[in-house]
Amino acid sequence: MNMKDLLRTAFSNLTRRKVRTSLTSLGVTVGIFTIVVMLSLGVGVQREIQKQFDAIGLENVVVRPRDAERNDATRYLRPQRLTAISPEKIAEWRALPNIVSVTPVVDVNESISKRLRQPGDDARSEAINVDIGVGITNPFEAPPQPLAGVLQPAGNGQIVISQRLVSSLDLGSDMATVLGKPVQIVLESPRGESQTFDYTVVGVSNSEDRLVALTAEDSIALKAWWFNDPDLLKTEGYDFALIKAKDLTVARSLVPQLREQGFRVQSLETVLDLASKVFLVINIMLGSVGGLALFVASIGIMNTMVMAIYERTREIGTMKAIGASRSNIRTLFMAEAGMIGLFGGVVGLLLGWLSGIGLNMVALKYLEDNEVPLQGNFFVIPPWLILLALGFGLLVGIVAGLYPAARAARLDPITALRHE
Amino acid sequence: MTNSMLIRTVNLHRQYQMGKTVVNALAGVDLQIRRGEFVALVGPSGSGKSTLLNLIGGLDRPSQGEIWLDDLELGRASDKKLVAFRRDRVGFIFQSFNLLPTNRAWENVALPLMLAGARRVERQARAELLLDQVGLGDRADHRPAELSGGQQQRVAIARALANKPVLILADEPTGNLDSKTGREVLTLLQNLVHDENVTLLMVTHDATAASYADRIVHMRDGLLDRIEIVERPELVETTA
Repeated sequence: MNMKDLLRTAFSNLTRRKVRTSLTSLGVTVGIFTIVVMLSLGVGVQREIQKQFDAIGLENVVVRPRDAERNDATRYLRPQRLTAISPEKIAEWRALPNIVSVTPVVDVNESISKRLRQPGDDARSEAINVDIGVGITNPFEAPPQPLAGVLQPAGNGQIVISQRLVSSLDLGSDMATVLGKPVQIVLESPRGESQTFDYTVVGVSNSEDRLVALTAEDSIALKAWWFNDPDLLKTEGYDFALIKAKDLTVARSLVPQLREQGFRVQSLETVLDLASKVFLVINIMLGSVGGLALFVASIGIMNTMVMAIYERTREIGTMKAIGASRSNIRTLFMAEAGMIGLFGGVVGLLLGWLSGIGLNMVALKYLEDNEVPLQGNFFVIPPWLILLALGFGLLVGIVAGLYPAARAARLDPITALRHE
Repeated sequence: MTNSMLIRTVNLHRQYQMGKTVVNALAGVDLQIRRGEFVALVGPSGSGKSTLLNLIGGLDRPSQGEIWLDDLELGRASDKKLVAFRRDRVGFIFQSFNLLPTNRAWENVALPLMLAGARRVERQARAELLLDQVGLGDRADHRPAELSGGQQQRVAIARALANKPVLILADEPTGNLDSKTGREVLTLLQNLVHDENVTLLMVTHDATAASYADRIVHMRDGLLDRIEIVERPELVETTA
């Protein structure tokens, strides 16, 4: 008995009880439908997130120094650096192949009290923060734009201030006239001393926060005075460095390399990996719901096939008498069960695909109504999902058919022929 | 002339376990059937005639003894050999026809060929030829439900002939037919035996049906009771 005849016979046997066959495969349809909708949602959302991450720049790697563990005796002291990001390190990294840029960053915001004022104007000063967001932009906010001049000071003694500071310090109404004006940062230490640092404004950003941007060296100078440690750069190094690699592959290979050198490394890739893991768990959970439906469906198929054996006992006996082998009968019943499963899988896949299109339209409409500027496809059916859906449908049918098929194959032809 | 003997059974026993009692369906049967012979097996129910038929057809295995079909001993043959034997060398005809309801007449006839792996065009050609032979050439595309009992049995006969078997086994082939149709079917079988040189072993409890055979084997209590040779001078005339 060849494959074509087998499939033709199995199909013709299924079509004699069309309603029963359809109802049985409906169980598989529900299961496959659930799996397809859930997984395509998982895949779609994951791809959207990946796209967002790609826009931010996965090729950025953030390197931080490693601090010694603090114990009870040292917990209120500044942490001891085990590995410092020294200027030499920065130079070393810059020399690595396929590196676009290495930006050292100093964070002067930790409990350092700093105010900005016009030179000599004690009456009016503003508490400020130093912007450390070099090259890292929040994807959900528009990146800052320069209103005048530049966004990053190019040399020491230069400063970029936000428009908020321009207005509160009354530096001028026309942003262009602010450029070139002198300003001072005043540090006041808890020990009662104070120190002023002079800068020239080279740019105004459109930020609504009280932010200034300094060069790394100027920032270090602020900290060196604050901690009363002129060698701060040598002992502590920069607070972190942003390494921009040429592409994702370079960034990926950079991470373990830097970790080996004893630095703490964070790349968006790591975050994305974590997100992927979370999505995997969600996908598995959602897939399990469909899996449960498929389990129930397989019981339905088994029931249908066992009933078919009762109905067709004499037929099985006849076929055996005129020369069907056990394996002929077994494969025939397995093929029938497999076809029920596959049929359910095909319908489930189609329904899942159509629902995905519909739900996506609803989701986009909802986002649009809520003015979320997100476009995209949240239900994606990649080729592997098609194969998975059809393969699973077929597999469920075949597995459910194992027992009935074995039972049909075992039938004694004489007994079967006597069956009423 | 041992090679003219198609079937030889030697001291054939078959016992069944029925609850706690053991039933001796066959208690030592020695039967020989020549090639091209039409033999009727008759006897009261429980005499073992169906058991003997099933054993010769390779559907069952003896408890003791041997069944030779040419040079194949069925009792010791592997399952695989028995399947091939049933498929390629034996044709079965049943009391209730046992056609597959979803298949057309020709597909039913071609079923043994399909199991043997023949190509569909070849199967159809052979099936239509056989249907012609049993007088149903115009019914090839009908399904069993659209055929009368006699027609269905003719389709079944054509199916039994599909693989050019050496042996046809018929179990009460006229049991579900009225007497006129039964006579037609028996005449058809009789002609096939003589024209095609097939061997036919038929189980029946109808004396009229048995009278179509060349030899009538009477069975009783699992043993051969007596063998009756049917005198048929008119048949000798037609063959002469």
